[in-house]
Amino acid sequence: MAETGRLSAAPSFNLRADPVLALRVAIIIAVLVLWQAVAASGLLYRDVVPSLFAIGGALVKLLTSPEYYRNLGVTAGEVGAALLIGGLSGLVVGLILGGSRLLARAYEPYLYYLGPTPKIIFFPIMIMWFGVGPGSKVAMGAISCFFPIALSAAAGMRQIEPILIRVGKSFRANTWQMVSKIYLPAMRHPIINGVRLGLGVAIIGTLLAETKLSNQGLGFLIIQAYSLFDMPRMYAMLIALFMIAIAANAVVGWVGNLDRVKAGAS
Amino acid sequence: MSQVASVGAQGSDGILVVDDIVKRFETAEGPLTAVDHVSLSVKPGEFLAVIGPSGCGKSTLFNIVGGLVDSYEGTVTVAGDRVRGPHPAIGMVFQEESTFPWRSVIDNVAFPLEITGMRKTERLERASHFISLVGLDGFERRYPAELSGGMRQRVSIARTLASEPKILLMDEPFAALDEQTRLLLGDKVLQIQQELQQTTLLITHNITEAVQLADRILVMTYRPGRVKRIVDIDLPRPRSSEIVSSEAFGHYVAQIWGDLREEASRGMRDEETRRKA
Ligand SMILES: Nc1ncnc2c1ncn2[C@@H]1O[C@H](COP(=O)(O)OP(=O)(O)OP(=O)(O)O)[C@@H](O)[C@H]1O
Ligand SMILES: [Mg+2]
Repeated sequence: MAETGRLSAAPSFNLRADPVLALRVAIIIAVLVLWQAVAASGLLYRDVVPSLFAIGGALVKLLTSPEYYRNLGVTAGEVGAALLIGGLSGLVVGLILGGSRLLARAYEPYLYYLGPTPKIIFFPIMIMWFGVGPGSKVAMGAISCFFPIALSAAAGMRQIEPILIRVGKSFRANTWQMVSKIYLPAMRHPIINGVRLGLGVAIIGTLLAETKLSNQGLGFLIIQAYSLFDMPRMYAMLIALFMIAIAANAVVGWVGNLDRVKAGAS
Repeated sequence: MSQVASVGAQGSDGILVVDDIVKRFETAEGPLTAVDHVSLSVKPGEFLAVIGPSGCGKSTLFNIVGGLVDSYEGTVTVAGDRVRGPHPAIGMVFQEESTFPWRSVIDNVAFPLEITGMRKTERLERASHFISLVGLDGFERRYPAELSGGMRQRVSIARTLASEPKILLMDEPFAALDEQTRLLLGDKVLQIQQELQQTTLLITHNITEAVQLADRILVMTYRPGRVKRIVDIDLPRPRSSEIVSSEAFGHYVAQIWGDLREEASRGMRDEETRRKA
């Protein structure tokens, strides 16, 4: 159980006792100081590097505007739907490829080739198929997260201890019981990892699509601020987005650790 | 040694009949015969131990009887029913570590009952009973990662016992346990076996364990795995682990060790030449 302490380490705010945290805070402070120095020096255009106070003000304004939350909701809904569609289909494809050596040898190379391809090249097609509204954004997010989730599920299935499968068979579990009570729980760590990677690329895919062609969502707001040359607002939006990404990742990681705490690291 | 061949398909009286099993594996060094024309018959309620040196094909035979092997020659029948996959009357305890790491002890033990669709309160009650039988009271909510290897093996034994199989197959179930726990747990298993009139096939390479528990002991040869001899153990029942200090017990142990020593040393020689080659 020594493992548990490390995994669930709650952030302690004692900087002396935690050199890692101290270093993390130090670099943030250094960047902020540097930023403010550049902004104050007037070396670059004021508008490109606005002062921290301008950005802070914009952040407050942003976080208190209902318009922001409406667009945040749109993007979150798109990412959620993308993760659901891309994740479930990735899981099913991963289970099939993981279960059949023949199919894996035939089709997995395609996934490896297509996986790292920038999915934005599919965006024009998605617009034609699903229109300019949220549909095409969901499609972009779903395509993005399908690949990492399918590949981790396939790899995870191949890593299952064969003895556990034999135990299930010896107790005459049917196919559905084998999947729900043995395959999926035995694959929980690779699946959670796949979902974590998938969530990241689903956010990227969706936001990228929103910045290209849309009239709502966070990607749209960022591009709008940019085209109006409202730099403080744009930086504020980026900061807010970072925080959302960190929070989303923390939630997925927390779900994963929850299980490790009870079942050990195995 | 040749008298043994006739032991073969002796049994219309056997509830578990293994008839002339041959299993070959393709290996990098060519075909390997793991099980070579093995036949045996276990009578209802009988406790048969199969003993043999490491690598003689015991686990292979175990998996074939359990219906987990697809291609082999010969037949396995349970109450006249040809085995073509895991049979409902058979419960297996595996040699390898086989607990589910994501399930607590009680959920591990309740697994087979979950598969058959038993109601939750009922199956947890039954699982607790078997957990205390293997001496793991108080560990119900723990996870396998928090237990010792021997405790995990006891969870696997309890899990299979909880499914109350008519025929119990065990592949070296006590190998990970210390001698004292092994003897005591052997008593427990024997007690359940006698109560439920369970037909039991125990695979082991521990002579004491085999003589302590079995009605008959089948000694296998080293590769290829054949039946070398079958020894009837005429020790009184009910038996407890105290019997290990009796004179008759020592006599049986010596007899089987005589058979086994020959095979084991053949096995060691064989492995040595293989290593040199
Ligand atoms: N899947 C396999 N492929 C190739 N060879 C195998 C396979 N399974 C077992 N063997 C070989 O068959 C022989 C018998 O193996 P088996 O596991 O049945 O032995 P065992 O009697 O159970 O040994 P132990 O007492 O060490 O558990 C061994 O030589 C082993 O290497
Ligand atoms: Mg074995």
